[in-house]
Amino acid sequence: MENLNIEATKYTPEIILHKSGKFSIKGKSYPENTFEFYAPVTAWFKLYFLIDSLPKVHFVTDEMPKALTLDMEIIYFNSSSSKWFFDLFDIFDEHKESFDISINWLYDEDNESAREAGEDFIEDFENLNIKLVPKQG
Amino acid sequence: MNVTKEFVKQNGVLFLSYTTFLSQALIVILTNLIEEETKVSKVSIGDSSNILTIFIELAQNVLNYSKTNELESNECKSEGLITVGKSIIDSQQFYYIACQNIVALADKEKMQPKLEEILKLNKNDLKKRYRELRKSGKNTHNNGGGIGFYEIAKRSDKIEFEFSQINEDKFYFQFTSFVNIKSTE
Repeated sequence: MENLNIEATKYTPEIILHKSGKFSIKGKSYPENTFEFYAPVTAWFKLYFLIDSLPKVHFVTDEMPKALTLDMEIIYFNSSSSKWFFDLFDIFDEHKESFDISINWLYDEDNESAREAGEDFIEDFENLNIKLVPKQG
Repeated sequence: MNVTKEFVKQNGVLFLSYTTFLSQALIVILTNLIEEETKVSKVSIGDSSNILTIFIELAQNVLNYSKTNELESNECKSEGLITVGKSIIDSQQFYYIACQNIVALADKEKMQPKLEEILKLNKNDLKKRYRELRKSGKNTHNNGGGIGFYEIAKRSDKIEFEFSQINEDKFYFQFTSFVNIKSTE
């Protein structure tokens, strides 16, 4: 399995998915076709969890680390991105028994809406470990 | 040109964009422009992120509905008018984001009940409803129009909308969002 790196643009975030279990999504998120833009990311995570569930045979040599950390720092986002974040956390939720997943929701301490967005996800996924991480602007 | 200038001055317009084909590239440029303006005007990061989110949501809505209209008929090709401005009433500074575009009857029938529901909800109920809809996914699609108006309303201090009939199947849809500036430092 390869790492996935997507560079930031003026309207899409930088995405780094490392097979060591360190992930980050940082920047602005308002693609024209949100689900199309994030499709490779969704597919990458699905594959990550699929490989783990496969019986260990000689051609599957990847050992998937169990401790996963996702740093999310989204400056602003459109509503379809918010829906995609929800769907992503839903995938994590399905695998929370087999993995130790931590999500850090980073936001500017003065940005109330960004904090609220993080709080909403914490309430919606009470069995996921989502932490609010305020940053000084 | 003078009429336009006078209008712009009177209404505190930051920009007024009339386009027959709104594109994502144009939305990105206008978003950066608002970002710069709010920075220069020392608008707090919370307020400016609300203004930016509302603008993006409305502009992408126009973009998507325009596309639908273009596919269905040639008479109402992707027309959109988006205005962003700021003003002061009773010493309260506010920004407004307004859009006007043409929607088909079928779109109006989907949008109107949603918008009327939103007008009746207080902030807490809006947040609740937004999360319910996001969770159920029923109202969402690739272009995000499903929860978009809830997102806008959550971040606005006031919204106004109106449909005015053009012909049997087409309506002008006008929508304005107002965001009060809470602090300037």
